[in-house]
Amino acid sequence: MTNPAKKLQDGIAVVTGAGSGLGRALAIELAEKGMRVVGFGRRKNALQETCNLIPDERFHPMVVDVADADAVRKAFADIDKRGDVTILINNAGVFPRRDCLDETAESFMHTVAINLGGTFSCSRAALETMTKTGVGHIINVSSFADLAPMPAAAAYSVSKGAGQILTRALVADLGDRFPAIVINTWMPGMLATEMGIPDGLAPKVSAGWGVKLALWHDPELNGAVFEQDYEILPPRSLKGRIKDRLLGRGQTPRRLG
Amino acid sequence: MMDKATQKIWDVIIIGTGMGGGPLGRVLAEAGLSVLFLEKGPMGAPAEEHRLDSEVFDPVARLVRGFWPKPMKATIDGRMTEFFAPLGAAVGGSSVFYAATLERPERRDIETTSNMPHPTGGWPVSYDEYRPYFAATERMLHVHGQEDPLYNDGPSSLITPPEISPEDKAMMDSFKASGLHPYHAHMAIKNMPECMECLGKKCPHGGKMDGRSAGVIPALETGNAEIIDLCEVTALKGGDGSLSHIEAIRKGKKLTFRARRYVLSAGALSSPRILLASRSKEWPNGCANSSGLVGKNLMFHLNEMFAIFPKPSSHSASKSIAMRDLYNDDYQRYGIILAMGIDVSYGEMVHYLNMAFDRSILRRLKFLRQFTRLFAAVSVKIFGHAKVFVGILEDFPDIGNFVTSDPNDPEIIHVHYRLAPELLKRRKLFRKKIKKAMRGQRAVLIGFQPELNFGHACGTVCYGFDPATSVLDENCRAHDLENLYVVDSSFMPTSTGVNPSLMITANALRVADSIIADISK
Repeated sequence: MTNPAKKLQDGIAVVTGAGSGLGRALAIELAEKGMRVVGFGRRKNALQETCNLIPDERFHPMVVDVADADAVRKAFADIDKRGDVTILINNAGVFPRRDCLDETAESFMHTVAINLGGTFSCSRAALETMTKTGVGHIINVSSFADLAPMPAAAAYSVSKGAGQILTRALVADLGDRFPAIVINTWMPGMLATEMGIPDGLAPKVSAGWGVKLALWHDPELNGAVFEQDYEILPPRSLKGRIKDRLLGRGQTPRRLG
Repeated sequence: MMDKATQKIWDVIIIGTGMGGGPLGRVLAEAGLSVLFLEKGPMGAPAEEHRLDSEVFDPVARLVRGFWPKPMKATIDGRMTEFFAPLGAAVGGSSVFYAATLERPERRDIETTSNMPHPTGGWPVSYDEYRPYFAATERMLHVHGQEDPLYNDGPSSLITPPEISPEDKAMMDSFKASGLHPYHAHMAIKNMPECMECLGKKCPHGGKMDGRSAGVIPALETGNAEIIDLCEVTALKGGDGSLSHIEAIRKGKKLTFRARRYVLSAGALSSPRILLASRSKEWPNGCANSSGLVGKNLMFHLNEMFAIFPKPSSHSASKSIAMRDLYNDDYQRYGIILAMGIDVSYGEMVHYLNMAFDRSILRRLKFLRQFTRLFAAVSVKIFGHAKVFVGILEDFPDIGNFVTSDPNDPEIIHVHYRLAPELLKRRKLFRKKIKKAMRGQRAVLIGFQPELNFGHACGTVCYGFDPATSVLDENCRAHDLENLYVVDSSFMPTSTGVNPSLMITANALRVADSIIADISK
């Protein structure tokens, strides 16, 4: 039997939103670590630029809108011909600054369709392969936007918060059956990208952590939430904390790297 | 594909794909017959590796995992409890979750021997007639293990087992020093030692041999067989001594299937319920039930669990030790002793304690029930370091023990069972014998009350020569119907002193030969 970590490395990594920002940095970093990478994006030219930055044909661009479920299914069926998808980083997302009174029901749900729908769509398609091979790592890129939604960020905050719930829901459905398909939420931090802030982190730095997480294959990680390079433990009630203390089993957050 | 399957007249339709239906379908398909499997449970994804979990309670979530979706009702000595029984509803049946123990029964389990009369006077088919099918089952399921040093039955087809772990070896030596006769248990696993982790779980590598990996999958590979999963058979239809068709439901849609021969293999708790649910003008008592015995004579084994804290302590669960020192004694029938092969997990422990609680005098104090969890957590801390063994105690047929469906929900199995005074007496003796045999082992009996093994049901559609006292004839064909066979553990007249898996498959292979002979006439 091949060991799952090796199987993971031998497969294909899919990064959504690979045409710019964090997605591009993740694709470059994964390729540098020896992975074959497929990058999804809506803009052909942007994807080509990412491609130009990665040598040895380690990157394969695919023009896919993650909000289009049919296109996603077709793309994954194509990837299946090249090899087994073992890593999926659901990075594609939009952050339209829009007051709720300027939002229509349609424009709101369009954002949800990309940020949340795209995550589900790609995960569902990748799981088609992963539930056959038994090995996989899905990382849902998220943010803290849901904790205290900022003005003009309703659709983004809601879809990102729901994305974290999606991670937990997928683990509830799959964790016991497929322990070697590991699913995590990862908050990359405030980045100096189009979607982020000017004096944020360099995407390359953050991508280093994200790729470390992606290549770290351990069933024990299933459902864990990471912010930048450290783990965020689920909140414990007072009763729970007392129990932990009594039984001497308090958890320490894990670090990337 | 569904339309094709409903229009075709199949040679054989098999209902249920466990240790009976799976291997039987494989033999028929390999012989060139067209075979359709109908299975209530899902095919499941190839990489699944979960165990049965009684904490999953949503019926949809349970069926997706291949667990029987609804809780079972059991009225035991007049007291009703409701719980999730260790029953599968999956391609491969419950066997995809089993521990792959394939032990042969002994001659005295089946027929009267010189020193022991058989409680029913003997099965209609002799031990010697079964012997070649035991061997065939061992070959088909890649069974490995050592010969039992106490019971020489001539050559078997066992594959030499892989080297046992140092912990198990130390344990065997310790048993031997106490005068016992342990041997490497007989297990249906392709010789891949690293695969031993799959005992009690769905096996993602095809190493564990069960109704799915040794039956359905090779049957489908012949090209002569097809399977429809998530398909529940609701009634068998016909009259005048034969079945004409069967009715089933799949995803809310009613379907009808036809074949030249029908084989029921839905398990000893469900095959009789399908027969009873097929009541009609022609069959007011249910299908194949002129004897009135369908569903009756329900037997289980009693599990007598004990933990051994080995010296030095070891963390790996023992999987491969069996012994038959207490199989029978002083003209009493007991059964085999086996390493449990699976850790007593937290969930199983809670289930076990809750069941014990519901039968205890404390049951009126509902609030106390939650403490079973705490107790289980602490126990698992302790027993996690112990090796758990089980002594299997044979159960005998009793017409007052039977299975029915809940009148309000046909998916709910209702078991009615009385613990016979004879059984309780024998259990007491068995416990004494275990204690005596385990002296010097740091062993402790875990069970307090009699524990029925709900995974080992049998006897509910039993076979025999006389249509008045049995449902099936000696070839497991219904006395009443020329084209209906039953091949799960329902057919067994007594429960024997070993796990039923090998017996079920061996009998199914025998029935397969008789179907092939019959159909080519």
